[in-house]
Amino acid sequence: MNQRLADILLESFPRILTQGLLVTIPLTVLSFALALVIAMVCAMIQIANVRGLRQVVRFYIWLIRGTPLLVQLYLVYFGLPDLGIVLPSFPCAVLVFALNEGAYCAETMRAAIESVPKGQLEAGYCVGMSYFQTMRRIILPQAFRTAFPPLSNSLISMIKDTSLAANITVTEMFMTAQRVAGRTYEHLALYAEVAVIYLLFCTVITRLQAFGEKRLSRMNGGNVIRA
Amino acid sequence: MLELKDLHKSMGGTEILHGVDLTLRKGEVLAVLGPSGSGKTTLLRCLNFLEASDSGSVTFLGKEFDMSAVSRKDIAEYRKHTAFVFQNFNLFANKTALQNVTEGLTVARKMPKSEAERIGMDALKKVGLADKADSYPSRLSGGQQQRVAIARAIAAQPDVIFFDEPTSALDPELIGEVLNVIKQLADDGMTMIIVTHEISFARSVADEILFMDNGKILVQTDTKDFFEKNDNKRVREFLGSLSERMTFNENKDQKNHSAAHSSGTSDGKRGRVRKKGRRKK
Repeated sequence: MNQRLADILLESFPRILTQGLLVTIPLTVLSFALALVIAMVCAMIQIANVRGLRQVVRFYIWLIRGTPLLVQLYLVYFGLPDLGIVLPSFPCAVLVFALNEGAYCAETMRAAIESVPKGQLEAGYCVGMSYFQTMRRIILPQAFRTAFPPLSNSLISMIKDTSLAANITVTEMFMTAQRVAGRTYEHLALYAEVAVIYLLFCTVITRLQAFGEKRLSRMNGGNVIRA
Repeated sequence: MLELKDLHKSMGGTEILHGVDLTLRKGEVLAVLGPSGSGKTTLLRCLNFLEASDSGSVTFLGKEFDMSAVSRKDIAEYRKHTAFVFQNFNLFANKTALQNVTEGLTVARKMPKSEAERIGMDALKKVGLADKADSYPSRLSGGQQQRVAIARAIAAQPDVIFFDEPTSALDPELIGEVLNVIKQLADDGMTMIIVTHEISFARSVADEILFMDNGKILVQTDTKDFFEKNDNKRVREFLGSLSERMTFNENKDQKNHSAAHSSGTSDGKRGRVRKKGRRKK
């Protein structure tokens, strides 16, 4: 490796990593937290079969899952100003990622809740507990354990998807690498470098997932949870 | 204490229960028999409002409930005095045996944890599972799970317990331990409605038999009369089809648990006299 290339990589590494920690991670965490809230609400509306709202939720999930994330970003960032709605790039990215991921996670959560045998809800009723008490104390903890691995998957996807925010002028990790590459013409090196940093982030999440699964398993009393 | 009048219930456009009546006195054990698909389980589920009914009324502890238009509050009040034991146990998988028993007490009845645990341990002792208090359901056998479910039912100190085929999901060698526990409850004077396919068990433990066929009650009568004097054609057919199995069960019972879970006239008679004594009218 020649000296110039080594210098470029060494000089850009902290810059890219910093943008990762300051922009990519907050963008991911904020969006994902919001997505979980959206998903939870959507899943519960579907499970509890709230009339009217259920159709709205189905429509939302259909719309989001049927269109590309990049198109959604462009629609909101470049399209909505035509209607007089102008959002700064970072909040716009958070909004779109949350809405997008929320739709996918809603399906994950709905499936997880439905996977808990319905009889436990009835047993809850029969010992005098209400729907919400049984949901909160019995059904959701078990559903969460089932949903945890696919939700971790979604989180990992999202970290990488945030690179799309570069398209709407959010200076996150990928855009920082892009700029250095444009200036130095070292495309292979810079994109490999940013790939390694994404890999690093995702590895951390994977480790956290393994740890989380172990804890959840212990809280639910062992490997087999269904009677 | 419980009187059901003219219960109708349809599912998917087909009427399953065509006007069912039944009465239950305090301290009485009522066994519901009948062929598969006759509506026994549906009847029991309607009785605890797990299924909505099309019409009918139930009078329970002096209060009348319209079964087709009962409020959520009334259902909650009603269920405070009843307990339900399911065919598939339906234990809370994320709770230990003891927590399964105390959950309803602490959450629904706002009982302090220490008091709930004391009641819970008593209930587990009663079903012989005090040593499994900290085990999760996934670590228990089917018979043990059902006994925990029964402990959960009695911990609520209900006025009546509904049993929906409590041994149908169990391996044959585990049935006895569950029936023994139910029999013990009967001896303690617990009021129960038991949907079951265990004919010899019903004969030895029930005060009255209710025979259902095709969504109707054909017979509700004294247990002894049901088995000895009944001349209803459907009942005779039903008992006839089971007679081979009954003989087999009796033999097995004599070998395994002769005292508690057995049938035959001599034991039946003894049960009769004892139960008449404790029945409060």
